Amino acid sequence: MRSDVFILLSCFVLAGCTARSHPAIYPDSRTASPLLSFATQSVSPTQATSELLLKLPLKAKSVRFAVIGDSGTGRSPQFEVAREMEAYRRIVNFSFVIMLGDNIYGGHSPRDFVKKFEEPYKPMLDAGVKFYASIGNHDSLSERQYNLFNMGGERYYGFKKNDVAFFVLDSSYMDPVQLSWLEKQLRESNAAWKICYFHHPLYSDGKFHGPDLDLRSVLTPLFQKYQVNVVLSGHEHVYERLKPQNNIYYFVLGNSGQLRFNNLRLSSQMEVGFDTDRDFMLVEVDGDNFYFQTITRSGATIDSGILRRQTNPSN
Amino acid sequence: MTIGSGTISIAFLLASFYFPLTQVASPTGKSVNQNSRIIQDFDRRLDSYAKLRKRAQAGLPNPKSETSAANVKQYQQSLAQNIRTARPQAKAGDIFTPAISQLFRELIETSIRGNSGNNIRASLRHAEPVHEFPLEVNQEYPQTSAMQSTPPTLLSNLPKLPPDLEYRIVGRGLVLLDTKSNLIVDLLPDALPISQGER
Repeated sequence: MRSDVFILLSCFVLAGCTARSHPAIYPDSRTASPLLSFATQSVSPTQATSELLLKLPLKAKSVRFAVIGDSGTGRSPQFEVAREMEAYRRIVNFSFVIMLGDNIYGGHSPRDFVKKFEEPYKPMLDAGVKFYASIGNHDSLSERQYNLFNMGGERYYGFKKNDVAFFVLDSSYMDPVQLSWLEKQLRESNAAWKICYFHHPLYSDGKFHGPDLDLRSVLTPLFQKYQVNVVLSGHEHVYERLKPQNNIYYFVLGNSGQLRFNNLRLSSQMEVGFDTDRDFMLVEVDGDNFYFQTITRSGATIDSGILRRQTNPSN
Repeated sequence: MTIGSGTISIAFLLASFYFPLTQVASPTGKSVNQNSRIIQDFDRRLDSYAKLRKRAQAGLPNPKSETSAANVKQYQQSLAQNIRTARPQAKAGDIFTPAISQLFRELIETSIRGNSGNNIRASLRHAEPVHEFPLEVNQEYPQTSAMQSTPPTLLSNLPKLPPDLEYRIVGRGLVLLDTKSNLIVDLLPDALPISQGER
């Protein structure tokens, strides 16, 4: 049973917390999380044999999507994450995936696109799931014209699903033209939820990179002024959910293919961190609630909860 | 957005277009008229390259905004080949002339030593720096190499580029990259002060 596996893994993780200087999930206890509680349900996928542990409510007419970052290695861990995503897709029925950059590592020949994207996610692509990519530092700008990344030929772009607006940025080249575009889009958006995603994190406790302070200095004033609710980034090959910064929710998820083992440092801004395996995230937005569940390639849920839409995000 | 001293230097440069008779010293130490002439020369060279690229695109099938990976690659390679054919003698310094190079180094140094300098330096250190490797004009930027992000404050302090041209940092150098063809248009060695480039 998947839930049994989860419990076993949790026990292993908690046991590891006492035995190692670096616990797998930070902080040691997640009971202090300010998130609202939500009942966990075990569900049986129609074609899979084991039960999945689901922490999303699956409300009618909600917006459901998956999140991956730093995925495009073409190696077995990427395929394992993709298989777990597909198992959950059969239950959650998410219709799109957002990609936080580094979608294709190394070469960018047509064969690379097959090996590092089309093959791992084939079941989802066959089911009609759309992938919306952002550009990372290992990506080629030619990706913006690749039809399966749905970028419309642009380095940065936006799209909307019901009452959720997505602003997809090229954080490796945040020139004044892009900043002006972003400000215009945010100003004119009347969506209830404004979600920005891009590769380089503004806040991060990863030891390898850390936050991009210059990028933060130009983006956060816009995020606060125009009430952005959620910001997601990759680049750091770990998972981290930060405590709200200026009332904005920040996630880092850069371990859907790559992994930088034990690379997080504990900090006061960290809500939850995970740096010992690959994962992806499921999101369901319904009304004023943003439900999320972060799941490893082996099916363990390492973070989940509900974020309330901020009534006045900038304050 | 933080306004750094480099932004002020650009403001001086721009002001000189509108008040050409004014002789004011810019933060780079030159008169604004002198700097504006250098920037005009830079713009003229970029304009010339943009026209050349337009001609190179003319014989190619109109690229769709979204297409297959094979078509994307084919278009990029064909465009690169056409551009190489159109400027076979292109070499480093064709756009970054000595005067333009000097101005760029001063603008970059002013940015890095300005109010936003700490953030720019942190960005350069944390953005997975791309170390120096051999690059040549008319060569494709190697797609197996990561592309270091260019700090936004630094970008805001450099002259604006036409669409699909970008400033990229490699080691201490600044690369002028054509993102449509993935070709290196020109190179500016030692663009960053030594303390920033040596990591």
